[in-house]
Amino acid sequence: MEKIFTSLGVNPGVLLAQVVNFVLVLGILYLVAYKPLMKMFDERSKKIKESMEQAELIRDKAAQAEKEFEERIQAAAKEGQEIVGRAVRTGEEVRQKAQQEASKEAEVLIGKARREIQRERDGAIDELRKEFADLTVLAAEKVIDRSLDKKAHKEIIEKVLQDSTVIRKG
Amino acid sequence: MRKGGCLGCAFPVVIGLGLVSLALIIIGFLSGPIGGKIFNVSPPAWMSVHSPEVELPAEEIFTFGPFVIANSVIAAWITMLVLIALSWAATRKMKVIPTRLQSFFEFALGWVYDLCKEVAGEENGRRFFPFVVTIFLFVIMNAWLALLPGYGSISVVNTHGEEVHLLRPANTDINMPLAIAISSFVLVGYFGLKSRGIHFAGEYIRVGGLVSGLKLLFRGKIGAGFGKIFMGAIDAAIGLLEFLSVIVRMVSFTFRLFGNMTAGEILLLVVMSLAPYLVALPFYGLELLVGFVQALIFGGLTLVFLTLAVAFHEEEAA
Repeated sequence: MEKIFTSLGVNPGVLLAQVVNFVLVLGILYLVAYKPLMKMFDERSKKIKESMEQAELIRDKAAQAEKEFEERIQAAAKEGQEIVGRAVRTGEEVRQKAQQEASKEAEVLIGKARREIQRERDGAIDELRKEFADLTVLAAEKVIDRSLDKKAHKEIIEKVLQDSTVIRKG
Repeated sequence: MRKGGCLGCAFPVVIGLGLVSLALIIIGFLSGPIGGKIFNVSPPAWMSVHSPEVELPAEEIFTFGPFVIANSVIAAWITMLVLIALSWAATRKMKVIPTRLQSFFEFALGWVYDLCKEVAGEENGRRFFPFVVTIFLFVIMNAWLALLPGYGSISVVNTHGEEVHLLRPANTDINMPLAIAISSFVLVGYFGLKSRGIHFAGEYIRVGGLVSGLKLLFRGKIGAGFGKIFMGAIDAAIGLLEFLSVIVRMVSFTFRLFGNMTAGEILLLVVMSLAPYLVALPFYGLELLVGFVQALIFGGLTLVFLTLAVAFHEEEAA
C-alpha cells in the first residue's frame, strides 16, 4: 500500500504544503476577489432594481401629471367657455339696455319734438287765423267798400273759423 | 476591410507566414527522432530535444520545516501569485461601470457564480461560491500556466545534489489533486455537519438498529431481537458503504485530475520530442480545453456534493 503511494508520488510534506497553498489562495482570493466582487454584484443588482423602481415611479408620475394636465386643461376650457358665455350674456344685456335707453330717449325726443311742432303749428294757426281774419275783413271792406265794425266782424269770422273744419287747432 | 486579403492579412504576408510555418514543420520533423531516423540526419546539439523522462513523484527542491518544497509546490506558488495579482488588479478600483479587466473578471467569476446559484439555490450558492470558484481558478490556472515555456524545462540542483526541474505543473503532482480533493471533502463534511448536524453523520454511522436489537435481546425477546439485529446490521453496512463511497469519490476526484493532467503533460512532452516546432501547437489547444474541462469538473462536482450534503436536510425538514 505504502509502495503504491510512494510510487505515485504521494508525499505528506508536499501534500501539507499544497493544502496550505490551497487554503491560502482561498483566503486571499476571498478577500481580494470574491468579497468585493460579490459586493459589486449585489450593488449592481440593487442599483438595477432601484433604477427600475425609479423608472416605474417616474412613469407613474408622468401618467399622473398627464392626467392632471388633462384635467386642468378641461377645467380651463370649461372656465373659458363660462367666461365667454358670461361675456356674451353681459354684452347682450348691455346692448339691450343701451337699446332700451336709446329708444326711450328717442321717444322722449320725439315727444318733445312733436309737442314743439304742435305748439309751433298752433301758433302758426293762431297767427294765420288772425292774419286771415284781418285779411278777410280787409277784403270784405274792399268788396263792400265800407268799413265794418271791425270788432263785430272779427267775432263773426272767428266764429266761422271755429266752425270750419279746415283750419282747426290740434 | 482590405480587399484581396486572407485571414485579415495581405496575400504576400499570408504566403510568407505559410512558408515560415512549413519550414518550421520540416525542421521540426528533421530535428526530431522520426525525421532523423528516416532521413538519417542529426540536428545540431543546441537544437536536439531530450527524449522525455517521465517521473510520477514530484522532485524535492528543499525542505522547510514539515513542508517539503517540491517543484510542483513552486509552480503552485506561481499560480497563486498570478491569481492574486490578477484579482488585485481587477478589483483594485471596482466600479459599477467596469473597466475592461474588471468586466472580464466579472464575466468569468459571474459565470461560476451563476452556476453555483443555479445548482445550489440562491442562499447556498452564495455560501459555496468562494470555495467552488477557488477550486476552479486554481485548477485551471495550474493547468494553463503549465503550458508556458519554462515548466519542465528549467533544471536546478536541489539540496540533495540531484539535478531536478525547477517547475513542474502542479496538477501533475498527485499531491495537488489530493490536497484539493481533501479540502473539498473537508468542506462537504463541514457544510453537512453545520447545516444538518448529527443527521449528516447519521447517514454514515447507522448503529441505531443494531443497538435497539441488542436491547431487545437482553430483555429476552430472542426472535424480535435477532430480526432487529439483522436489519440493524444491514443498515450499518449501508452506512459503511456510504462512507466508502465518499472515500471512492475522493480518490476518483484525485485521479481524474491527476490522470488527465499527467497524461496531457506526457502527451505534450512526447509530441515535443517527436517534432519540436509547430506540430505540437494543436495539442496545446487541446490541453487548454482539457484544463478548462477538468477545472469545471472539479469545481462542479464539489458544488454538487456540497449541495447534496445540505440538500437532504431541507427535504427532511419539509
